[in-house]
Amino acid sequence: MDQFLQHILNGIVLGGSYALLGIGLTLIFGIMYVVNFTHGELYAFGAYVVFAVVVALEGNFFLALLLAVVLGAVLGGGIEWALLRPLRGASIDTTMLVMIGAWIALQNTEQLLWTGVAKAIRHPFPEAPLVVGPVSISWIRIFVFFAALVLIAGSHLFIRRSRLGAAMRATFQDRETAALMGVNIDAVHTFTFAFGSGLAAAAGALLGPVFVVFPTMGDLAALKAFAIVIMGGMGNFIGATLGGFILGIAEELGAGYISSGYRDAMGFLIIIAVLLFKPTGLFARAERIG
Amino acid sequence: MRRWLPCIWVAFLVSVPLWMRNQYYLHILISTGIFAVAAMSLNLLLGYTGQLSLGHVAFFGIGAYTSALVSLGFDLQLSEGYTFVFEPRPVWLGFLCGVAAAGFFGWIIGRLSFRVRGAYFVIVTVSFAEVVKLVALNWVDLTEGPMALNNIPPVTLSFPGLGELTFWKKEPNYYLVLAVCLLSYLVIRRLVFSRAGRAFIALRENEALAESVGVDVTRFLVLAAVVSAAIAGAAGGLYAHYIKIVDPDIFLFIYTVTMVIMVVAGGKGTLLGPVVGAVIFGILPEALREAARPEVQWIIYGLFMILIVFFLPDGIVPAVSGRLRPRLSPARGDTAEEAA
Amino acid sequence: MSAPAPALSVEGLEVRFGGLVALSDLTFTVREGQVAALIGPNGAGKTTAFNVITGFLRPSKGLVRYRGRALDGLRPNEIAARGVIRTFQKTSVFGGIPVFENVLIGLHRRGRARPWEILLALPRVREEERRLREEAMEILSFAGLAHRREELGSALPYGEQRLLEVAVAMAAEPSLLLLDEPVSGMNPSETAGFMKMVEKIRARGITILLVEHDMRMVMGVSDLVVVLNQGRIIAEGPPAEIQRNPEVIRAYLGHGANRAGG
Repeated sequence: MDQFLQHILNGIVLGGSYALLGIGLTLIFGIMYVVNFTHGELYAFGAYVVFAVVVALEGNFFLALLLAVVLGAVLGGGIEWALLRPLRGASIDTTMLVMIGAWIALQNTEQLLWTGVAKAIRHPFPEAPLVVGPVSISWIRIFVFFAALVLIAGSHLFIRRSRLGAAMRATFQDRETAALMGVNIDAVHTFTFAFGSGLAAAAGALLGPVFVVFPTMGDLAALKAFAIVIMGGMGNFIGATLGGFILGIAEELGAGYISSGYRDAMGFLIIIAVLLFKPTGLFARAERIG
Repeated sequence: MRRWLPCIWVAFLVSVPLWMRNQYYLHILISTGIFAVAAMSLNLLLGYTGQLSLGHVAFFGIGAYTSALVSLGFDLQLSEGYTFVFEPRPVWLGFLCGVAAAGFFGWIIGRLSFRVRGAYFVIVTVSFAEVVKLVALNWVDLTEGPMALNNIPPVTLSFPGLGELTFWKKEPNYYLVLAVCLLSYLVIRRLVFSRAGRAFIALRENEALAESVGVDVTRFLVLAAVVSAAIAGAAGGLYAHYIKIVDPDIFLFIYTVTMVIMVVAGGKGTLLGPVVGAVIFGILPEALREAARPEVQWIIYGLFMILIVFFLPDGIVPAVSGRLRPRLSPARGDTAEEAA
Repeated sequence: MSAPAPALSVEGLEVRFGGLVALSDLTFTVREGQVAALIGPNGAGKTTAFNVITGFLRPSKGLVRYRGRALDGLRPNEIAARGVIRTFQKTSVFGGIPVFENVLIGLHRRGRARPWEILLALPRVREEERRLREEAMEILSFAGLAHRREELGSALPYGEQRLLEVAVAMAAEPSLLLLDEPVSGMNPSETAGFMKMVEKIRARGITILLVEHDMRMVMGVSDLVVVLNQGRIIAEGPPAEIQRNPEVIRAYLGHGANRAGG
């Protein structure tokens, strides 16, 4: 039983960051209908920024996190503006191919700069874990969990309360009408991609110090993000949040009770199962973002 | 004149081992040939049927592993006291099993596509490849996991009364690969220039309309997937018995991407496009090997892909042949008879 | 005197999208060889009805029969195999391939070649291809598009694209042809040309059901007009009756959806 609780706890911590990853992608997917292969790379990018600032530049950890999110958003916006905007209106396979090209270029740039060796990131939290009854949890994970919650809540509020958030929701529901009502669709697209990428970078920045950082870390992250989006339904914020937690818990349980080698398969099996039985997502009632 | 050109090409290709002694160049040609078969198979699904299948390397790998395992033999401990033993079989049988196994999984993916399309289908196919990779990595009893299947026997042909010929050297492998290449090309060509091929294209161009005139979309999707997967499995089998080692790295997503680049850059939806793409991306890495590190090469390929999508969205072959669209029917002047 | 046999029977169709009722208790009959029209303001449910009849949408209640046999649960291509062929509202051709190939795809049902026969290049397959190609040329001539055979579907001028749509549908050998807004966007002379085509099709014994806003066209070719408003039938009868029906006039004027083409 203790083991079980420990796994659940670990899963919830993981789930928080996974939720960020999923929310970012579901917004991009839902509003822009782009198969965003660079999402994983932004995750890796976030982790590498933290690494660069903390290890190479000996900077402040929290500043590094902030920088990772901001730079991630900027990079995302740049990708959208340079690659996707000119292709607005092209078919989905065209944009997919461009995203694949960008993904390859980004990943290999990271490989070139940092080599393939996995790197650890020092963090300012105590190493000794906090023990509460039968379960224990390290301080860094506590921090990561709450930071993720703050970001999730912040994003949710932003989308529901701000004008830009309203514009995003309008574009998601009915693009043509939104455009007719004066919403600047181009700007919404660029912003959405930047926002989603920033969240992915945040997830990477938070999980990087928990695990290790290596150039292909984005690949699995991207696929998990897709799993979360499918579970929650495209464009479904709440669904993606819940999906993130479900995936985190499923992975931890899978790793604990089946085998750690198949941990990463959880996400894919969930994808295939959901698409076979409930393609609109597990939480399809809430069909809007926010 | 036009009709003799392909024959001249084939004759030329057949002659190559007779005058090219450089083993390294032969190796590159053989690898390129294997890529070409894989790329042609992907083109059937991606180019002609328009399905965004990004898990293609799974079929390649399944073909490779199956063929290797059948020709090496294996034992599986199924329970306390019972071990299933599979004796090694001739390579040609392994090869056929590889093709069949890959085709079977193609059938499954094809049926899955009935439920999901577009972006969701991409995700299903990628996930499928990842799951297969994880199985290969973790089911160590069967696949040796990361330790790889070693000492895979090369192809052996037995001529009753005359003896055996084993393909240890590069030259016979070259001919084998060339033969499979040509056979795959012919199979795909025949399919494409037929009622079935038209159905593929119809469901790519406008699925609802295709259905409304009576095209059984699911059936043709499954057909395309099965043929495509089977040919990829053949490429995998060629790989297994030529390189003679197979490990789970064969399932890396990057290899699917390589195939996609070949098809897209060469010209998706054309017969020669994937071959041209395979030639370019089979030879280019070797040519650039001295000049640039692998990471830099890949960055170049990524950028190249982006440029192709922007400037030559139909790929190289249509641009070069002066036509803007892939051809569906034989060139004017050929009769349907000659096309078949 | 006996009326022609019923061809298409729509019985009590109801379609709901969540809380929205798109069609309610839709019942009408089109007889063999008739030309019938479904009219009504935008959003009245006309295309929804088409989608149900041709298998692209499941109704929540009700039944569609063609020549006595129920069509429910059948997939669109199975319904097409029964001779029920449709066109789509937005210009709907196979844009990326030549006109000739478009029609060849329409002839899909007329071919029988199986994949294994194709791979073995049996003589029967070659013979079938030759025959199909001849038929495709005939159909293109019928539609007046023979001179465009090599052009891409998407490269045709608008009016000719709409003709191509009908050519593709005719290739599928319909006995019941459903045309969804076939003349929308056409100028008067193109519309007049299309009306002649409808007569040619009717002369071949094909039953036609069309959805249209162009009143002149509708009244000019139809034997039966069914008027929908908000998912329900509000009137049904020959054109002359419908034109005088006060409810119909109110429905159109009330929604302000009377198109200039009428």
